[in-house]
Amino acid sequence: MESVLRLLADHGPAFGQALLLTWKLTALSFVAGFALGIVVAVASLLPLRPLRFVLIGYVEVFRNIPSVALLIFIVFALPDLQVVIDYEPSVILTLSLVCSAFTADYLRTGINTVAGGQVDAARSLGMSPMVIISSIVLPQALRSVVQPMTSLLIALMLSTALASQVPLPGRELTALVAKIANDSAAGISAFALAAAMYLASGLLIAWAGATLDRKVRILR
Amino acid sequence: MSIRFVLKATVVALAVAGSAPLFAQGTPLNAAAFDALVAQGPVADAAAIASNKWASKIKQAGTLRLGGTQTSNLFSLLNEKDGKIRGFDAGLSQLLTRYILGDGSRYKFTQVTSSTREQVLINDQVDMVLATYSITPARAEKISFAGPYYTSQAGVLVKSNNKAIQSHNDLAGKKTATQAGSTGPAILAQFAPKAVVQEFQTHQEALDALRQGRVDAYVTDYTLLLNVLSLGTGEAQLAGAPFGPQDAYGIGLPKGSDGVAFVNAFLKKIEADGTWGKLWTITIGQRTGSTNVPTPPAIP
Amino acid sequence: MSRTLEDVLFGDLNHRAQAITRGVSVTVAAALAVLLAAIVCRFHAAGQFEPRLWEFFAWETTWAFLGKGLLGTLASAAAAAGIALALGLVLLVGRLSPLRLVRWPAVAVIEFLRGVPTLLLIYVCFLVLPSVGIKLNAYWMLTLPVGLSTAAVVAEVYRAGVLAVPRGQTEAARALGLTQARVFVHVVFPQALRYIVPALVAQLVIVVKDTTFGYVVTYGELMQNAKVLISNYRSLVPVYLAVAVLYCLVNYGISRASRRLARPMG
Repeated sequence: MESVLRLLADHGPAFGQALLLTWKLTALSFVAGFALGIVVAVASLLPLRPLRFVLIGYVEVFRNIPSVALLIFIVFALPDLQVVIDYEPSVILTLSLVCSAFTADYLRTGINTVAGGQVDAARSLGMSPMVIISSIVLPQALRSVVQPMTSLLIALMLSTALASQVPLPGRELTALVAKIANDSAAGISAFALAAAMYLASGLLIAWAGATLDRKVRILR
Repeated sequence: MSIRFVLKATVVALAVAGSAPLFAQGTPLNAAAFDALVAQGPVADAAAIASNKWASKIKQAGTLRLGGTQTSNLFSLLNEKDGKIRGFDAGLSQLLTRYILGDGSRYKFTQVTSSTREQVLINDQVDMVLATYSITPARAEKISFAGPYYTSQAGVLVKSNNKAIQSHNDLAGKKTATQAGSTGPAILAQFAPKAVVQEFQTHQEALDALRQGRVDAYVTDYTLLLNVLSLGTGEAQLAGAPFGPQDAYGIGLPKGSDGVAFVNAFLKKIEADGTWGKLWTITIGQRTGSTNVPTPPAIP
Repeated sequence: MSRTLEDVLFGDLNHRAQAITRGVSVTVAAALAVLLAAIVCRFHAAGQFEPRLWEFFAWETTWAFLGKGLLGTLASAAAAAGIALALGLVLLVGRLSPLRLVRWPAVAVIEFLRGVPTLLLIYVCFLVLPSVGIKLNAYWMLTLPVGLSTAAVVAEVYRAGVLAVPRGQTEAARALGLTQARVFVHVVFPQALRYIVPALVAQLVIVVKDTTFGYVVTYGELMQNAKVLISNYRSLVPVYLAVAVLYCLVNYGISRASRRLARPMG
């Protein structure tokens, strides 16, 4: 117990900053990834075969590529193509791309749950496809995927650990405890503290997601 | 139509489409001379091994577990075509393997980085670490060092068109790369405290960061920088003379191991009979255009 | 309903709507085409089409070397998947147990392993366990944390499948006189498996992706061999591109193979 207290005394502020950085990376990546995922999901509804082909390819690539491999490509290989992205934006870009692929995938499932009859009725009322998508299909699809999106957000937060693999100016949780474990003997307590922080954040997100789901869920 | 044919055809097509001068790898390492040198290295007598716990353990296991790097051009680089690792560090470890086991190739290799070098010794994943490993008091608390087997100072590498940085004194406010876990961060803290330091896991990554413009300068071991220049691409230049304290490279061994005395005896032997000097010439001298064989550092 | 959503949305449009739809589609497609062209142009402008950056791909030794790395990846992934499937089952049984003494620890373990990043667990195996005397080799320092992390998720996937099996099945089986255990093993679990094969395969893909952290514990796998090639040939973009493609192909192959497996089960 006193080792944890000593740890907090020595590194307390660092842990706080690390937690904030973790949350910041998570939030930014999720917002960008979510938005991009919606665009991809909607665009894949358009009746253009080559377009759908490319979008399916996009989703398959970013679902199957390991995030670390993608991050290393963006940080170390892209500059050879004269695209130099700073480290923190690189992490956010990596996580956003991966998040967008999973979002598009879940949204597709959500879109499929919208009753076909509604779309038929809307068409017979003379609504154009784009209006139907934006006012009928998408809102219901979004409401039905709150649960998998919550899991995705938690997974995204845990994935921010890969930011420890590039020389970020700040340290997020995993990088911080790895450094503490390397430099001192406080390894176990440091990891326990980080684990507790991740767990608490995850539980918070899960609770928020469950509440949201209960409110907007469509009972069929 | 085999895959090989398709690949070759693609390459030919690209070769026709593009046109570039033949890539200069710098002077390549004389593999035949290297292999020959390792093959005629000394072998310890049975008594010397039996009286040493560390060496007997290796002899009984039949393999030496080595922690090193495969991606360092001068010191230890894996040639994936013949599966052999060659370089100054690689040569020393193979000579030591031959010294204990009679055959320089009976080692099991584990890739280590600046962050994992101490831990693999603490975890007993390897018997020794030979990877441009600087001896520092902080590290000596966790593990033991044999040697030193080489010394070098720090140097500053910048891009050829960089006139702003003439030496380590001009690094204030500049983004400077260095290797994580090396003596680079400490040296920068002492000699260029206002530099903005970025730490990389490997030499190659730091070099690429300099080339790609992510950093303005790269501070690391002077010998490594000489090798970059020897690649002859003209993209980089040294800023100023070598500076800082003499960086002593040692061989990492588990804490308190009696292997320290054994390895030191080995080092003294190959320094005395000229093998050290010949290894230096083949792996470093001929490739960086230096002809003065340095005197090996004194071993306490 | 045999018509897809797209058919309903975009079939039988009047001229104006058709024109708008076509306009939007073409714009998006054109934007993508421009993006693709820009990428190719950038490759060329940055000199990435130079032969010296690609010529070693024509050698067998290069592919053999990459193949060795891939084998390292798959060896770790296979064992981790095995651990995950087996341990996940144990955790599931604990999770479903009516005894609080068994259920609460199971829930705690599952929530812990799910709520902590796999990379953190890997660091624990590498940096912390040895200090308490547990010294694993590099292979297990990667495989064990990945397996444990995935086991928790697999347990939850199993549970979702079990809960999806209609209660009527359990009740009927019990009415026929089967014990609770027998009901689970012979009636509930086999049906649960059928529902969850896609989710299990998704976990398999995640396991392969997690093995890229092998270099953290000095385990040699595909990324490590890629770095050797880069050092030898100074060819960053092509090598990383090739590695990325390899990973995508492997994971895509796993997903496709599972779909074929799932089909006979209906």
